Amino acid sequence: MPVLEVRNITKVFPGVVALDSVDIAFERGEIHCVMGENGAGKSTLIKCLTGVYEPEDGEIYIDGEHVGHQNKSLFGKVAYVPQEIDLFEHMTVAENLFLPYEKSSFKGLVNQKEIEKKALPILEKFRIKVRPDDLVRDVPISAQQLLQIARATIRREYDALILDEPTTSLTTDNIQVMFDIIREIRRENKAVVFISHKLEEIFALGDVITVLRNGKKVAYANIADKDIPWVVTQMTGRVLDQDQKFYSEKVTEEVLLEAEHLTGAQFTDISFQLKKGEILGFYGLVGAGRTELMQAIFGYLPVYTGKVRVDKADWRLGDTHYSVNNGFIYLPEERKKYGILPMLSVRENISVAVLDSLQKGLGISAQGERKLALDVIDSYDVKTPNYDQPIQFLSGGNQQKVIIGRAMCCNPKVLVFDEPTKGIDVGTKLDIYKMMKKVAEENGVGIILISSELEEVIKCSNRIVALYDGRVAGVLDKRADKEDILSAVIGIKAKAPPS
Amino acid sequence: MKTKPGEKSLVLNALRRSTMTAIGAVLVAMVLLASVLSPYFLDQYNLQSLIRDLAFIGMIGIAQSLLLLIGELDLSVGKMASLCGIIAGMLMVHQGVNPVLSMIIALALGMMLGALNGTIITRLRLNSMVATIGMQGVYGGINLVLTKGKAVTGIPESILFLGKGNLGPIPIPFIFTLIVLVCILFLTKKTKTGRYIYAIGNSKEAAKILGIKVDRIRVLIYSVVGLISALAGILYVARLGSSQSAIGENWPMNSIASSVIGGVALTGGIGNPAGALIGAAIISVIQNMIVLLGVNVYWQSAVSGFVVVIAISFSSISGMIREKKQRSIKVAKVAATAAETEKKG
Repeated sequence: MPVLEVRNITKVFPGVVALDSVDIAFERGEIHCVMGENGAGKSTLIKCLTGVYEPEDGEIYIDGEHVGHQNKSLFGKVAYVPQEIDLFEHMTVAENLFLPYEKSSFKGLVNQKEIEKKALPILEKFRIKVRPDDLVRDVPISAQQLLQIARATIRREYDALILDEPTTSLTTDNIQVMFDIIREIRRENKAVVFISHKLEEIFALGDVITVLRNGKKVAYANIADKDIPWVVTQMTGRVLDQDQKFYSEKVTEEVLLEAEHLTGAQFTDISFQLKKGEILGFYGLVGAGRTELMQAIFGYLPVYTGKVRVDKADWRLGDTHYSVNNGFIYLPEERKKYGILPMLSVRENISVAVLDSLQKGLGISAQGERKLALDVIDSYDVKTPNYDQPIQFLSGGNQQKVIIGRAMCCNPKVLVFDEPTKGIDVGTKLDIYKMMKKVAEENGVGIILISSELEEVIKCSNRIVALYDGRVAGVLDKRADKEDILSAVIGIKAKAPPS
Repeated sequence: MKTKPGEKSLVLNALRRSTMTAIGAVLVAMVLLASVLSPYFLDQYNLQSLIRDLAFIGMIGIAQSLLLLIGELDLSVGKMASLCGIIAGMLMVHQGVNPVLSMIIALALGMMLGALNGTIITRLRLNSMVATIGMQGVYGGINLVLTKGKAVTGIPESILFLGKGNLGPIPIPFIFTLIVLVCILFLTKKTKTGRYIYAIGNSKEAAKILGIKVDRIRVLIYSVVGLISALAGILYVARLGSSQSAIGENWPMNSIASSVIGGVALTGGIGNPAGALIGAAIISVIQNMIVLLGVNVYWQSAVSGFVVVIAISFSSISGMIREKKQRSIKVAKVAATAAETEKKG
């Protein structure tokens, strides 16, 4: 009998079916890998398994018992280690292990010495080489990752352990330690759910694999029977409308932007060229340094060394005002935080970028502003009741259209789209691809597309720069093999060409 | 109901006006209540002294609301005001400088002190509240060094009308407050800088990504706040006929309270400086009522403080009520659906 099981679960968000009738059973003593591209439904699945989301349809069984409204406490048997470190960094290792002291007999008092003593065997078991009274922020990231697992598993009697990308910030040695610990947990007859993007880890560790794609379960197999290409095929699948491509067909030979040996906090020695009218894709895993690189060229983050030229002229770094006024515009990934001015109207959100041209006497021309807003709403097909609507009440797709329209009002030379379709429904996605293509072809703008969706990068880019760990892992043609691209961004050197 | 883009939706516009109309209505109600409770409230002398008080809280409140709009605040407004008042007074009385010139110098000083606050906060990346608590200590200390705790008396008669005089029935400080309000409203509602202020208040990060020189605008606002504080300080000196370091003791708290009562969010991005003036009026009416109703002198400060806390809570309480309503609607809906499925099953 599986210890954790979902039957036929469906979870719908406005505009997207995140999980579509998915059945998965997790057995004791088994490491079960779940794979899929970004947006395939892995996170949604975890959130259903841990009781964060309630699926619209289908059932969840824990130890054979159906989880309903009355027995939500069953979710207590599922231990979960999130992808991001969420420890209290200004507290000690021991405090982090035992907070909130549920199972202690301290009765409102915390005996620091006692919890430190109790922490020692746990640290030993998980091979965390730190002292219990060290502050978490002072211990290495690898120890923090292991500490997260320790914390999730010692607190209660659990039957299943979910690990969400536990190795993203680990080096090879530390990964081996973590694998040993995970195998020990398997020996204790627990079910382990292992989520990772790294194919070689799956094959080193996993017993069985389930692949999700676009919210559907597309494959289930014993890992021993399969190989990497099979997994990649399952993950990416066939492109639905394969013939529909959105890369620019009017790339010139003129170099628009040239970066030379750029190094910053999270990227190292990066050089690339962007041509006029080209769409250049930047693909890599989360944390590969794509966003940081572009924000640094834009002037939002510091560049330590290196040089950028735009139109053959030296580019001033570290000044966003200069960048915007000289035609380099960055459209951020976190739209809600960095892109929109949530409480201001659509009209004000559009005009704020070009107030200089709307100046009339001492103030702003109200008439000019209204006309501009209507123009953008019209030409970018923004769905809003009127231009005085606060932008926070528009859908994500429409917010994105406003932001693109606003950027185009500034006559840009270079546009950086950072995950432009994140959280956006399929129909609007296509609109945004078309906009990018149009802007590149008709206005000769150079476009940089940062995306975690391989499908998107391949559909839209003329060339693809693969980043791994803050470095360029390869520059690939748009006709490149998916497998080569995937290999590059997970740190495997591309296959040598047959000689 | 479908409206074309750009077509004005009447409902939405009415809603948008509603914060201002609501606090305006509260003010009217309080004035009516006060005039019913005390026969002396509508007395010309009482009203004039109330409006004279209100002029100062209102002026500082308008200035403070500018900072709240970008999600920051300045607790040194009172000390800046008294320091500028003392400098003006010492120049006029001890150095024999022309009174008008002395006042202009003091205004310039206020602007510089404000700019200093802003520069420290932006350059050292400090929290505005902590930094201005420190700076108010500095300014207050300089006050004491200059005056040794004594008031500067003998302010020239020629300028006392600025604080004590009336234009027709209206106290002159209040006229200055209205002038400040018109200028600030023009700045925030009509100019590029005003738009940038709201943009920064919505999201400093987004504003930076839009290419707005965020820090420059922040320093500018601190300077304007310093300038207005100096103006209020000088007018208060003219009102008292002497410069004292005690001027402006309650201004930081009262200015924040009036802005919040007037619908300016502490978190930034929302609100109208005119609301701060209405908020100041509400506070002044409360304080006046407490005096007129003969509350024991020793209790006055406690009672007025408590009433101000209640006034500040208006908006968050109405928010809680709204939340509760939505909650009960949703609960009812879910129960209805559950009942329906049960019937089917």
